[in-house]
Parts: sequence; C-alpha cells; structure tokens
Amino acid sequence: MRVGRYSLALDPRPAVSPIYAVLTAVVAILLALALSSFLFLSADANLFGAYRTVFAYAFFTPRGILATLQRAIYLLFCTYAFLVPLRAGLWNIGLPGQVFAGALAAFAVPSLLRAQETAALPLAAAVIVLLMVVAAAAAGGLLGGLAGLLRARLQVNEILVTMMLNSILFWLVSYMIKEGGPFMGATAEGEGFTLPSPLTAPLFRGVPYTAALALGAAILLDLLFAKTALGYRIRAFGENPAAARYGGISPVALPLLVFLLGGAFAGLAGYHAFTAIPGVYKIPGNYGFYGDLSFYGLISALIARGSALGAVPIAVLFAGLSLGARFAQGALRLPFGVDYALLGLLMMTFVASHVFYQFRITWRRVPAEALQPVSTETGGR
Amino acid sequence: MLVQADRAPAEPILAVRGITKRFPGVLALDHVDLAVEAGDVHAILGQNGAGKTTLMNILFGLVQPDEGALSLRGQRVHFRSPHDAIAQGIGMVHQTRRLVAAHTVLENIVLGHPRVRGLLNLRSARVEVEQLCRRYGFTVDLGARVWQLSEGERQWVEILKALYGGATILILDEPTSVLTPPEVRTLLAGLQALVRDQGVTVLLVTHKLPIVMAASHRVTVLRAGRVVARLRTAEATEELLVQHMIGRDVAFSTMERSAEVGRPLLQVEDLSAFNDRGLLALRGISFSLREGEVLGVAGVTGNGQEELVQVLAGLRPATSGTVRVDGRDVTHLPPLQRWRMGIGYIPAERFEVASIAAFSLVENTTLNYHFDPAYTPRGLLDELGLAQLTRRILSIFNVQAPHHQTRAQHLSGGNLQKLILGRVLLRRPRLLIAHLPTQGLDVEATAFVRAKLLDARAEGAAVVLISEDLDEILSLADWVAPIYEGRFVAVLPRRQADAEIVGAMMAGLPQREAGTG
Repeated sequence: MRVGRYSLALDPRPAVSPIYAVLTAVVAILLALALSSFLFLSADANLFGAYRTVFAYAFFTPRGILATLQRAIYLLFCTYAFLVPLRAGLWNIGLPGQVFAGALAAFAVPSLLRAQETAALPLAAAVIVLLMVVAAAAAGGLLGGLAGLLRARLQVNEILVTMMLNSILFWLVSYMIKEGGPFMGATAEGEGFTLPSPLTAPLFRGVPYTAALALGAAILLDLLFAKTALGYRIRAFGENPAAARYGGISPVALPLLVFLLGGAFAGLAGYHAFTAIPGVYKIPGNYGFYGDLSFYGLISALIARGSALGAVPIAVLFAGLSLGARFAQGALRLPFGVDYALLGLLMMTFVASHVFYQFRITWRRVPAEALQPVSTETGGR
Repeated sequence: MLVQADRAPAEPILAVRGITKRFPGVLALDHVDLAVEAGDVHAILGQNGAGKTTLMNILFGLVQPDEGALSLRGQRVHFRSPHDAIAQGIGMVHQTRRLVAAHTVLENIVLGHPRVRGLLNLRSARVEVEQLCRRYGFTVDLGARVWQLSEGERQWVEILKALYGGATILILDEPTSVLTPPEVRTLLAGLQALVRDQGVTVLLVTHKLPIVMAASHRVTVLRAGRVVARLRTAEATEELLVQHMIGRDVAFSTMERSAEVGRPLLQVEDLSAFNDRGLLALRGISFSLREGEVLGVAGVTGNGQEELVQVLAGLRPATSGTVRVDGRDVTHLPPLQRWRMGIGYIPAERFEVASIAAFSLVENTTLNYHFDPAYTPRGLLDELGLAQLTRRILSIFNVQAPHHQTRAQHLSGGNLQKLILGRVLLRRPRLLIAHLPTQGLDVEATAFVRAKLLDARAEGAAVVLISEDLDEILSLADWVAPIYEGRFVAVLPRRQADAEIVGAMMAGLPQREAGTG
C-alpha cells in the first residue's frame, strides 16, 4: 500500500520474542473488553460498574477465585486434549465425548466395587481414587484412540468420527444416570449417584489436587515437544506427514498415540469436572454444559499456538471471564448470554492478533527515482 | 534456429528499475534493472538462488518489491496481486504445474478468467479456445482430463490459459526442466512462432545454456541477486555466459571409476507395484548390485521410476517380488528399519517430501537422526550434537545458509538439496537410493552432488541412481538400466551402453543390439 512518499507493507516475521507475544495478547484482551462495552451499554448498566463486577467476582472474591480455578483446571485438561493431536496436525473435535467417557469410567469404579455408600469401602479410599483417575484417563484415551486408529488405518476423517462419538457418549451418559439407569442417583431425578465423600478428590485449601496434575502436565507437554525425540516426531508429522513418513515416522502409530494421549487428557477433564468440584461430586442432569464448555479448550490451544504453558493464563482468563460475566448477568440484570458473547469477542480479537505474530508492518520511504516515469522518451506517447 | 538480433532498437515494453527484495537473512534482489523489448524472447539466466524466480514473481504481482518500480508500455504500474498483472496482459507459467488434475483441459483454461465469475458458459468458451488453438497452431484435446496429459501437454495448457486470459507478455519459469528432449524442441518452436506471428513477448527463465542459445534474442544474467550482464544472444557464447553466471571458469572434471568390485549387497527379484491410481506401474523388475557399484536407471519420468524408488525405500508396498539387502528379505520392512540398517534415500521431491519448510535446518537434519541413539540419548534430543552435525553438513557440503537455525523455506532448491544429500550421506549408507538428485540444480551444484555420489560409491556404498539426464547416468553409472513402462529394457554394463542405444531403449524402441553386445 502506498501512502504519499511512503509504502506500507506486511512483511513475514522470522521470529517472535516472548515479550512481544505477551504484549499482543494483552492488547487483544483490552480490545475485547472495549468491544464488549457495547453489550453492557445496551443494558443501561454503569460501564465501569459492570467491568468491576465481572473481575471482582472472578478474581477477587474467595468464592469466585476458587470457582475460576476449578473451571480453569477443567479447561486446561480440555486444552491439552486438543493440543496434543493438533501438534500432529490432527483435529480432536471429540472433547465432549472423551470427557463423558472419562466421567463414566470414573464413576464406574465405585459402582463396580459397590462403594457407593461410605459405610463399606472394600479398598482404601486412596486406592479407589487412584483407580478412578486411571480409569477416566484410560476411557478417554480409548475413545480418542478409536478415532486415531480409524484415521491411521482406514483414512477415516477424525473430525467426523469424533463428532459422532460425541453424540453417542452424550446419550450413553443420559442412559446411565436416568431413572433406572446403572448410575441412577438416590433422588431418581435424572442425576447420577453422589460420590461418598472419601472418594471425592482431596482438596488443599479448597483447591483439588487435579490443579497440580494440570500444571505438571503443562510443563511435561512443553518439554515433550521441545526436547524429546517423540515430541519432534509429533511436530514433524504435524508439519509435513509425507516428510515424516520419509524420515521413518510411522503414519499409523503416531496418530494413534496422539489421540490416545489427547483422549486421556479429556478423560481427566471429565474426572475433574464431576469428582473434584465441591457441590457437584456426581454427574449432574445438566452434564451437557460441560461438553459445550470443553470446546473452549480447543480455542485456548489455538490461541496459545500449541504451547501448553502458554495456555495456562488463557484458560484462567476464559474461566474467570465466563464465571464473572455470568455472575454480572444475574447481579446487574444484563442480557442473557453476555458471558458467551464476551468469550466470543475474546476469541475473535485473539485470532485477529495472530496476524502480528506472522507479519510485521513496515514503512519504507519510496526512493525518489521510483516515483519518476521510467523512460522519458515514451512519456509523450 | 534463426535468431533476429539486428533489428532496430525498440522501446522496452516492460522496464524494471532498481528492484530490491529482502527475505529474512537474504538479499534476494539487489537493485535489479531490466528492459524487455516487445516481440523478443528475453532469457533470464542464472544459477539456483540467483533471484530469477523472485524477480519473475514480482513481475507477476505474486511478491511485492521492497524498492524499485515497474513500468509497462511506458506507464508506471504497481501490481498488488497476479490479478493486476493478468489485467495488464502478463501471463505466467510456473515451474510446477498449477492445474486441476481432475478437470478437463477446457475447464482449466477457463478457470479464473475474469469473465467467468458466477456462470460458466463452457460452450461459448470452447469456441473461443478452439479459435485460439487454431490461431496459434496448437493441437490439444480440450475434453481430456489434465491427469491424462503428458508434462509437455500440460505446459501447453498453461500457456493457452495465459493467452486466453489476454496475455501478450508470457513469463515461463524453467519451462524445460520436466520436459523430454522432443517436448523441449516442440516448446521452443512454438514459442518462436508465438513471438514471430503473434507479437507475443516471452520472458524465459532458465539456467540451461543450450536453451538460451537456441531460443532467445537477448539475455540478462543474474548472479546473487544482481544483474551481471546484458547481452544480445547473437553476440554471446556459451563460455561467456557460464563465466558471467558463475563468476569464474569451471572445469568439468572427468569422473574416475576405480572402486574395486565388492560383495553383492542388493538383490531385487521380479518386483512389481501399483501406482497411486491403482495401475500396475512397476512390472517385474530384477537386478542385483554390489558394494561400490552405481546402477543408473535411465528413463523419462512416469515409467515406474517413482514406484521403484518408493518400494525400495519402504514407502510403497510391493505387489509381488522380493528385495534383499545383504541376504536379508526387506520387502516388507517399514522405512524406519531400513534407515537403521543403512539404506539411505534421497527423494526427488525435495520440498514436499525430503524437507519441512517451517522447520529449522537443524530440525530438518534431525529428520534422518531422530531414531539414532547417538543423537537421542534416553529419548531426548541432543540439541548441541544435532546443531554441530548441521554445521558440519553446511560446511562440508557447501550449503549457503545464513545460520543453522534458519528455516528451510528460506533456502534455495540447490542449497536445500545439498543439505539433504549431506544429512543422508553422513549416515554412511550402505545402499543409497538417489532419485533425480541433480534435477533443477545449477552447473556447480550438479557437479558437486555428482562428485559426492561418487565419493559414497568409492567408500563402498551401492548406489541406485534414477535420472532423466542420460549424460549423468553415463558419467556416473557402472550399470545402465533403461526403464520403459515399468520394466528394465536391459541392464547393460557401462562400456556397452552408448547414448544412442540407451536413448532408443528409453523411448520404448525394442532391444535390437543390446543383447548381442
């Protein structure tokens, strides 16, 4: 683009410094908040009051902070579930299904051990909790692995398979917790049975131990991709499957592996959502909400550009803003759905900001001779 | 071919002044001036990485220059995209084909034409394209699907497409690189006719001297992003052009063959395989090769070479037959195990298969070392060791790169090929499969790659070399196998293989004298 004697161009950017990346993200957040002012204005609410309510609840009240953390842990597991296959160039759209599979497997452990009542635990509580975690990860992993296997062996599109599995698992959960279902709760009102308190996830100052799992996984995942041969293979396959195959990377084992791993993280998300959040401790009737919420893991993985640690602040922000906006919606009588609108705006500004990771805007002075006609002889024609 | 060089000096139809283009770490074009006169075939000559393609991409609006100006027919122009260039009558035929293989020739020609926005009137378009064909004397079956055409025919489809789009200036980027010699002759004759009878101006980008001498009126030589010579072709000689292109004299060294004959290493028996379309493309090939020997498979692309190479590398299943390396049946081994047992493979597709554009040079080197315990202790990448290895490859194999952490996409084709060659050869493969290893490389890089292949042979590797360049085969190979329609017509010892016999076999002529030699 030419403006006067200067030309404006988008140049490819060879590398991005971390400070620049963080700055861009902060600007994107501020822009999303500025745009969401229109939502608040339409409701005749005091603008700054509305922002204060959103943030104060999510990040400055003890209750809100805990709720934000709980939701952030859930979103983080969902983020990893999408991020690992994404690094191999594969799209895991099966987060809800794998979350549900994890939840069902977690609750199957006490159900099979007949440990639904506190009075008679057949094993030590810690052992049962451990079994529940392992079962949840295994079930999510198997469901993901099914999609990976179909993709690797038969070239069946993983997006279609995982989406259809979502529906199957949704109705399977419905069957399990409804009246007469194997996981039916005591009230028989379309909820699963409540976990006896020794089997709920241990809390430390109100924070479940799954927080440590989520943060540890972030560090391990980033190390996996940066430092290990396996991580290299996953990245190579994601960038160029033909080159990966040439280099001896198995086009069958690798998709299977990333889907097993991704599914296992989604299974952990299911475990966390229904056994680690005080006040839930069962598969509730509105379990479908958690399925919808899992897709924010997809968004945060994309925004973090494949970095698990980079996704941590994004997941916390998403969790806090969605909770805070929902709270503000009730407190200030804002229009319904303002929380989703805010997340949507945030998504858009983040995605738009990615242009600045790949390109930089440069101004250049156009040299004087370039502004002149090239040949004087032909000027008169 | 007649070259009219002594015409009155005409005004330039296309003039370029002071064009500069920087890519990260590379100055691709450095204040380039170029003047192209109407009705000329103007050759742009230069080695790989000299900036030819970048310059043409700027003329076609694909790349924006950082500095400098273009003028067309005396008017200053600025192309924001190829749309602008096409609207001004510039057409480009890229080095790689950009056609929809499943569509017909007509559909491809019409695709993207400004008049075809919403509705497609194929009947009236057919009449127009047929007229165009008659006017230019082309014979192409407009109803044929593009995948059914030969590479030369596809190129004509692209030229027709450009002319149908109203082009009066045609840019051809390395048009002869994938053509057989007869196709090259047809192309050059056709271009001459276009220029002579239709007043089309042609910009011919190439690094092949014979093409320049045979077909162009004028030649501009680029070296390292600068214009180093502007000549009338009639006043130039091949030696002069080589000196400009390379900056000094090169002596073509004669290849020595002194390796002792080693143990038998590779035995291939009755090997067959399907191609991607499910047709039997490899039909019962048998040969054996000893350590320190080069088998040169000579043929025109598409006669089963790709399938042969992929079966040997483990990337394509064999439908029948066996491959034995050192007595061990490897027919069904996956690629990883073949790498581990010392089979090295240099694919023809250096951008699509042999490298990862977004990865650094170190990461690209890792592609052949990620399974090597020496570089991945306890499953961790030995980053220091891999960086050292990459730097060694850059220096031993003479790769021009700003840094070993540069992304592969910033390397020219020749430098990338030297990196690939280096990383495979430093594994010291016992069996090396090299598919079109010098395709598209300049004179210097070609000589370098050939010398390195001979070094590997001298160290005892068995080499399967697949090439379309008969001279290359004859100068490197101990055994020559002309391949035609999936079969080796013969496997001749080098001294019995002269260019005429092998050339005839490559073209599918029945074996006449080879059996008696």
